[in-house]
Amino acid sequence: MTLFNMLFFAIAALIVVSTGIAITRRNLVHAVIYLIFGFFGSAFLFYLFGSPFLAALMVIVYAGAIMILFLFIIMMLRVESPEGRLFPPRQMLPAALFAAAYVVIGGLLLANDPSAAAPLVEASTEPAAFGRYIFTHSWLAVEMASLLLLVAMIGALLVGKRPVKEDEE
Amino acid sequence: MGIPFGYVLALSGIVVVLGMVCAVVRRNLIMILLGVEVMLNGAAIAFIGAALRWQQLEGQAFVLFIIAIAAAEVSLGLALIVYLYHRTGSLDPEDYKVLK
Amino acid sequence: MTAAGPADTTLLAAIMATGLPFVAFALILLLTRRRPRLSAGLSLTAITVSLASAGFLLVRHWGLARPIEHSFLWVAGGDVSVRAGFIIDPLSLLMLAVVTAICFLVQVYSLGYMAGDPGFSRYYAFMSFFAWAMTNLTLAATLLQLYIFWELVGLASYFLIGFWYEKFSASEAGKKAFVMTRCGDVAFFLGLLLILMHLGNLDIRDLNGAAAGRLPPAVVTAGALLIFGGIIGKSAQFPLLTWLPDAMEGPTPVSALLHSATMVAAGVYLFARLFPFFSLSPTALGVCLAVGTVSMLIASTMAMVSRDIKQVWAYSTISQLGLMIMGLAAGNYVAGVFHLTTHAAFKALLFLCSGVFIHAFHSNDMYAIGRQGGRRLRVPMACLVIAAAALSGIPPFSGFFSKELILGALADLPNPLWVAAGLLGAFLTTYYTFRLIFIILFPAKNGPETVHSQEINHSRNGGYQAMVWPLMVLAGVTVFLGFGEGEITRFLTAPSEAKPGASHHAWLPYAALGLGTAAIFLAWLEFGRRGAAQVGFVERMAPLHALFSSRWYIDRAYRWLLDHVVYRVFSRLCARNDQKVIDGAVDGLGHATAAAGGLMSILHTGMVQYRLIVVFVSILFMAIYFFV
Repeated sequence: MTLFNMLFFAIAALIVVSTGIAITRRNLVHAVIYLIFGFFGSAFLFYLFGSPFLAALMVIVYAGAIMILFLFIIMMLRVESPEGRLFPPRQMLPAALFAAAYVVIGGLLLANDPSAAAPLVEASTEPAAFGRYIFTHSWLAVEMASLLLLVAMIGALLVGKRPVKEDEE
Repeated sequence: MGIPFGYVLALSGIVVVLGMVCAVVRRNLIMILLGVEVMLNGAAIAFIGAALRWQQLEGQAFVLFIIAIAAAEVSLGLALIVYLYHRTGSLDPEDYKVLK
Repeated sequence: MTAAGPADTTLLAAIMATGLPFVAFALILLLTRRRPRLSAGLSLTAITVSLASAGFLLVRHWGLARPIEHSFLWVAGGDVSVRAGFIIDPLSLLMLAVVTAICFLVQVYSLGYMAGDPGFSRYYAFMSFFAWAMTNLTLAATLLQLYIFWELVGLASYFLIGFWYEKFSASEAGKKAFVMTRCGDVAFFLGLLLILMHLGNLDIRDLNGAAAGRLPPAVVTAGALLIFGGIIGKSAQFPLLTWLPDAMEGPTPVSALLHSATMVAAGVYLFARLFPFFSLSPTALGVCLAVGTVSMLIASTMAMVSRDIKQVWAYSTISQLGLMIMGLAAGNYVAGVFHLTTHAAFKALLFLCSGVFIHAFHSNDMYAIGRQGGRRLRVPMACLVIAAAALSGIPPFSGFFSKELILGALADLPNPLWVAAGLLGAFLTTYYTFRLIFIILFPAKNGPETVHSQEINHSRNGGYQAMVWPLMVLAGVTVFLGFGEGEITRFLTAPSEAKPGASHHAWLPYAALGLGTAAIFLAWLEFGRRGAAQVGFVERMAPLHALFSSRWYIDRAYRWLLDHVVYRVFSRLCARNDQKVIDGAVDGLGHATAAAGGLMSILHTGMVQYRLIVVFVSILFMAIYFFV
């Protein structure tokens, strides 16, 4: 059992456990916090799998910006924790069914696929090399992603604008 | 000897399933969006694992775009949720049955 | 099926005889409704050509030894093959000549009778339609073709009986005629199917010839009895006889054509057509004999108490048809057919003469006609007397010869009951015929001699001539046809498939004549004498009078049957089936669809998470499909 493997299992456990707890929290803020833990775990995993740049990006963008945005909204809207059943059976039962089906079928697929048994070889990517790759092979996608972010910003500004208080019924 | 690639895929699959369940079961719009984020996280794990498996950078490039897309989508989605909350005062998807 | 010259002209003549009236019918209905004279002209042209073709065929094939058949394969499938076409043999030629001649004369007569009627064109259209159907029925080569034209003739009868449809009783009578003959036709069709199943085809020649060996006796009897059911319906025999008196609601020329000479005779014609086939089964012949006898007797009794001149002739038609069937069922082919021919002539003559009276005096009641001076119309009165004498079997008129043949055939039977019934029938026939003659000839002096005061809104002279001329032709035929008995017998038996009954009962003509004279004397005593009360001996006996005048309660039995069995049981079941089962099924389908929609609407709560569930489940299915 190499260090790589042990680390992988530990990080995997972290991710799964924290995500699982996150989705079952009644208090939304708690859920977001647990999810941040999960994203940290993801970041570790990315670093383990040889992309430190993306690990940093996960922490900065995902855990640091997106989840904070969630927190802002949750606190701004003063969302109360829901009372009553958390998982109403009308939705829980179909969800449990297809989740089970997914797991079973996924397991079957993985068990029967020969290429899934190939072991991973450790590697690492320099951020500079990664940047060079990005800007030579998928520069168009980068440009589109930046345009998309611009559009999202404009859209969020428009949608979030308070309506002018004229005649409000 | 490294771990088999199948383990990474299994991890990714479990995370995606968790995200699906969260999106479907929780009675809060924000939690639905959270579930979508979890699903995206699972997809990203799969891509990174694949990049390592085949020793190509394409997978990592894709994860970059996943993150960018997630950011854009969350910002718009939350803006919409705020707007809906101000319109109807509720975040329960049960109350959004105009298309019934 | 030759292609030589003579066969071609025969086929051409047959086609012209049968097809032209249909052309006239179509043209009148489509084009010339508003031009009555043109319609009448078209119809008369068609029937004249038909008559000429029929005459040509008759003359050309006089003494035909073997029947000629022109037919083509019409329906074929598996074991079954049905042909259609024309059959030319003595019987069909004779009948064709009779039908076309009477059609022609009646159409000429109608020029006068129906003049001024608003439905003049429609009348001639239907007349042509009937002529087409009847001529095709006569020449039909297979039973299926005959059945089709049988039904069409019934349809023509429905049209013509209910011609004055604004009158409720007329449309009711048309409906009654159609329904009652339809009941008989169901039996006919069942018989057809039975024969078809066992024989594989419906050729009349085959049926009469080789079928004896191929069909088991039970099938022959059953088939014959079922077909006879159709004959009962069409020829108004017991028990389906009450439609014919009601059918007198139609115009008198229609009664003369359809309900005395040709359409109701189609039943007897069918019997004669299938005579060899029927002869194979003594049981069937016995049943036919019994039914014919019963019909003959009870119709005669009904005629004895009737006041309506047309009803008397209607009952008389039923009675004479029964006599024809008796003759055929007794085994004498020529007797039945010859009486059919002579009856067509004198019965049509009777109706047409009555029509002149009805047209002039606007009343069907024989007492009223007599009082209003019926005997002053000389030519119709004379023709009426001639025809009445023929009907009563008085020599030297044609009826005498044909009735003698039938009575001779009845006397040939081992059981004397039948000939006694025949003689009784002859007595009653003479009695009621001369009752009518005396009532019209010698009206009672008590009662005002009112000259007909109703105005006639069309000129009488031209119409009168058109009406009188056919009367004289028919009277001539009635007088002279009897002497052609020998020729006709030879003609009919030329194919030598039927035996002419050689009956030499010397006492029979004298017995018949004696009874006839006695009946005339009785009628004169009661009706013709000066100062007679003009009330018959039957009419004095109230129960008998009630029995006869209510048609032996047959109508009442039908009414009871309809009310208590058909309406209460079957109609109610059908109505309930319609409401509960059929409507219920259709409505239930609608309700079920609405309920299913309601069920479906549970899914369509508009809630986004259910839709997400659907999305994920479909991804699952796709994964299964592509990777497993």
